[in-house]
Amino acid sequence: MQNLKQYLLLSAFSLGIISCQNSDDNPVANNVTLEFNNTFKNTTIVLGDAASGTATTNISAEGQVHHFSELKYVISNIRLIKADGNEVPYKINDLDQGATVIDQSKPETLRYILSNIPAGEYRRIKFGLGVKRELNVLDQMRFPKFYATAGSNDTQMMWEWGAGYRFTKIEGFYGTDHKQMSIHTGSTIKGSEGNFTQGVDAYRDVSLDLPTHAIVDHKAPKITVKADFDKLLTGKINTIVLVTGTGSDGNATPNIHTANQMVKFVDNLGGNGSGDISGMFSVTGVEN
Amino acid sequence: MKKGVSILAIFILLISCNNDYYEPVSYDNPQVSLNIPFGFPELNNSVKSNMPTKYGVELGEKLFQDKRLSADNSISCSSCHIQGNAFADNNVQAVGIENRLGLRNVPAIQNMMFLNFYNWDGNILQLENQPLVPIITHEEMGSSILEVIGKIKTDLMYRDLFRKAFGDETVTAERIYKSIAQYEYTLISANSKYDRVRRNEGEVFTENEAQGYQTFQQKCASCHSTELFTDESFRNIGFPVNPNTNEAGRGRVTGLPGDYMSFRVPSLRNVEYTAPYGSFGQFPTLRTVLDYFDKGVLDAANLDPVFKNNGNKIPLSEQEKTNLILFMKTLSDREFAKK
Repeated sequence: MQNLKQYLLLSAFSLGIISCQNSDDNPVANNVTLEFNNTFKNTTIVLGDAASGTATTNISAEGQVHHFSELKYVISNIRLIKADGNEVPYKINDLDQGATVIDQSKPETLRYILSNIPAGEYRRIKFGLGVKRELNVLDQMRFPKFYATAGSNDTQMMWEWGAGYRFTKIEGFYGTDHKQMSIHTGSTIKGSEGNFTQGVDAYRDVSLDLPTHAIVDHKAPKITVKADFDKLLTGKINTIVLVTGTGSDGNATPNIHTANQMVKFVDNLGGNGSGDISGMFSVTGVEN
Repeated sequence: MKKGVSILAIFILLISCNNDYYEPVSYDNPQVSLNIPFGFPELNNSVKSNMPTKYGVELGEKLFQDKRLSADNSISCSSCHIQGNAFADNNVQAVGIENRLGLRNVPAIQNMMFLNFYNWDGNILQLENQPLVPIITHEEMGSSILEVIGKIKTDLMYRDLFRKAFGDETVTAERIYKSIAQYEYTLISANSKYDRVRRNEGEVFTENEAQGYQTFQQKCASCHSTELFTDESFRNIGFPVNPNTNEAGRGRVTGLPGDYMSFRVPSLRNVEYTAPYGSFGQFPTLRTVLDYFDKGVLDAANLDPVFKNNGNKIPLSEQEKTNLILFMKTLSDREFAKK
């Protein structure tokens, strides 16, 4: 009997230790990896110059064949929504730590790791395409790292005259004669609240349901975000015909001919913030 | 005795409070007194939060003339904004480092305090937000604000001026922008012959100038209005279009189709000194501008009604053109341009 008691005590003790170990296995936080898959419909985009034989081509609803030689966009203001609805912001006011330039020519940029995400179950992700207005001021003193990334010669995600960042930069070719296309987006909005304001805000807040909940615990989940650039010309909001020229309808070679032409591309890529909150984005997979 | 001690204590407390309170203004940097010319429009709101001070202006002027603001130390603000040209220059389009060509003609810097829109397309609303743009623009100075700060922060003259202007020696981006804006606010031009005639200071227009003024009031003053000689509106007046695909005029700022290829009505003050004319220097002389108006401008969906309702032109006789030019030359402020 005495032995049994000791035995039980010992087992209880070891159980305690084991459960302690178990709880050590259950960290309070872990990484979440975002993987961006840039596609035309379901085909991952391969970039190529004008006469490229390997570039992925796409045909718009209006029958314009096109392919890209350069494809970049800014993701910032990332938030994960728990199953209970609580929102977990990820360094949303820190462009150095919480924003990134996705560049199709640099595979390492297609994967963005969110570190130290609190353990839990997540059902939705939100992020910004571009940089929200209050941070879009080219403040090199405050965010030297993001400024350097955006401004570097092979990235060029800066819009000097607007003193803000470029949100999307797409270079490519369209038509059977490979006319140049060059679509740049960014904000031109100026003026403080309560005073005169002008311009357009090209930042778009995107909100996507996860097909299965992402579970952050001892394992770090991976969320695959598809960005379907078929929507650039054949969007949910606008069907666009590329036009080369210097008229007010010119929208192809001019990198941003007029802000009203630009907004059509912006709405197709990032939604319009009201009726369409996903634009070209969707979550195609969650690996727990 | 006890009472005396506590009064003394309170007194000491008050003194120390006072000391704390007065510390931030312990440096002597008075506001510059500015002569606001009679009849000029209201100040831009942002002037009130960045009133020019003695040392702020001195610092701003030094920065304005410092070639270290450009990547290769070859140009300063004053390389393109030349005083003798009313702080514009005579190039067709702006020329930056390594002879890089800008999109547009260099605008004059004058009477900035009274403007609500800056640049040809009015994309800047507060002057303090402007200095960064040429510093970072590839076709202009091609540098960055941290690069500039790195070059000047150990310069003893700058350290002294930053301390005098802002209370300590720290060189920050914001202080650079503010001091340059303060300097530019002091560039007020209101002492032309026209002004002296208006102020009844004994000068009178010649007969030709007076006739030019009359034609001006009939055919030009609806846009070139106020004492600034601009109503600061944006209009498409059918000038030859810049073939650069980055150009859309104010349309690229607002996104409104009506603003396509519209530009701010330029001030006519010191216009004699700022040739060539037009957003990308399309016209070498004032005469060629007037000839173009007389002959007829390009049509456009959003062509300004002033032209649209008048057969796309402003008819002018040769004598009217001559007189108009003579009148416009009375807007030259020789003192301002140090002529």
